[in-house]
Amino acid sequence: MSTSTQPAAATIAESPPRVEMRGIRKSYGALDVLRGVDLTIAPGEVIGLVGDNGAGKSTLMKMLAGAETPDRGEILVDGEAMTGSGPRAARAHGIEMVYQDLALCDHLDVTANLFLGREKFNSLTRRLDTDRMHDEAADELRKLHIRITNTRQEVGNMSGGQRQAIAIARAVTFDPKVLVLDEPTAALAAKEVEMVLQLIKDVSARGVSVVLITHRLQDLFEVADRFVVLYEGTIHQELDPAKTDLSGLVTAMMGK
Amino acid sequence: MSKPYRLSRGARSEFIGRHFGVLSISVVFAALFIFFSARADAFLTAENLVNVARQIAPTVVVAMGMTYVITTGAIDLSVGSIVGLTASALAILAKTGNPVLALVLTLLIGAAIGAINGALTAYGRLQSFIVTLAALTAIRGVALLITQGYSTPIESSFLLPLGNGKLLGLYTPTWIAIAIVVIAWYVFTRTRFGRYVTAVGSNAESLRRSGVDIRRIQMAVLIITGVLAAGAGIITATRLASGSSNSGTMFELEVITAVVLGGTSLMGGRGSILGSAIGALTLGIISNGLVLLRVDVYWVPIVQGIILIVAIFLNSKLFGRLVRSRR
Repeated sequence: MSTSTQPAAATIAESPPRVEMRGIRKSYGALDVLRGVDLTIAPGEVIGLVGDNGAGKSTLMKMLAGAETPDRGEILVDGEAMTGSGPRAARAHGIEMVYQDLALCDHLDVTANLFLGREKFNSLTRRLDTDRMHDEAADELRKLHIRITNTRQEVGNMSGGQRQAIAIARAVTFDPKVLVLDEPTAALAAKEVEMVLQLIKDVSARGVSVVLITHRLQDLFEVADRFVVLYEGTIHQELDPAKTDLSGLVTAMMGK
Repeated sequence: MSKPYRLSRGARSEFIGRHFGVLSISVVFAALFIFFSARADAFLTAENLVNVARQIAPTVVVAMGMTYVITTGAIDLSVGSIVGLTASALAILAKTGNPVLALVLTLLIGAAIGAINGALTAYGRLQSFIVTLAALTAIRGVALLITQGYSTPIESSFLLPLGNGKLLGLYTPTWIAIAIVVIAWYVFTRTRFGRYVTAVGSNAESLRRSGVDIRRIQMAVLIITGVLAAGAGIITATRLASGSSNSGTMFELEVITAVVLGGTSLMGGRGSILGSAIGALTLGIISNGLVLLRVDVYWVPIVQGIILIVAIFLNSKLFGRLVRSRR
């Protein structure tokens, strides 16, 4: 176990990295949250980012998504340094993050949520082209194998799994290079967890890299190509799911 | 292939759920309409109904803007004071001899007050309740100050038809109200701006992350309401042929009552333009019907208050149950 510190899947590691985070440091006052983290992500790779509470997982991913700025270190996307700050800059570089709190508008329907901020409308009458957006939304959901028959339904009335699927589908419609998911399967019924995990596989099959932050370790074994274990602000280990079991992963998370 | 995840919900219950507010206020309106028609002889006459439609016009007009404001999760308590100030301002400005300019300036006063409310709320991050409560007090003070409490007569033959003119059997204020309702409905339900108004009240953070400047939306709804309140001030002043600084006292409560009766949620995210219009009409026929029944006029606010409580109770309890049962 202790020897497996290099990237697990050799084939993935050889292709040029999609994202390179180098020497990332961040402290809040006296608290060093991240103490020099190096992380590379290959195209289409699914990374399970794990660690105890406070290990720095969310902070690291918020930096990738532009919601936090590192004190030191650099982030390269396809070899280009990320410029600018904020979620918009990150989106321009092809990074999408789906937050734990599900950034959906409950009172709007499925299509309105998928198109929020990118509505199509007639420039003269200002009338929204709802029919076209519904068609495109249905198309997009079908491509991702999300069976939602009525895109005119308000998302507030839908189940947690459906809402999570819509939130992920929304991020995918921005055609990202990297998709960061923060606890996508928390508080979902078993059947819905399966659906979300399948969705993650579908998205990665499209060539989108996925970083998954979760406390449900058993989910990671189903979808992850590589485990990255953070411990007290540094990368403690990188593990190959095929050569690791649950107890091995938990041991690594405890810093042993 | 993933396992298909099917969703089967009745489109009908979805429709009822989304339009519950409008449906329930329509039932209340119809019931009251039938009751007054049966009990008061003078109620169901063309003359009376045309009069009600004229009296309630200012409420309908401002309720349109208030629906936008409340749907974003904010509130505007200053509309009554804006009516008082703009009614006075129109009369005073009209004395200069240029009624068109007076009209434009009066509307601009409404827009400016709305802009100040909006800037403090959206950019200053103050609660709209506090900002507009302060405006309610201060603007009424300004109106009293510039008029010294006196009414100012309006004699302009250009302005007076705005309150008293008649076209195809209906008074001008009624036509103005109808036009505003149609425009407000279109913008609210069919345009991107209307969708963003709902989104701000539903999940402002989500909209912000989508790259939309939510502060502009929050400011815009208060400007719209300020302009519409000025419109109500103009209608009121021209109808009475006199601008009074006391116009519109307690008007904000009537408007908010109409909007809430129509099913718009004070928590934001859910609003109904049609509901607000019907809510205003309901308040109109209550005061008219009670007067015709020779009920003591002091009963009108009491009955309106009770109707409000009943409507809110039905909305929150029944609507909540409907949504829960569909989960």
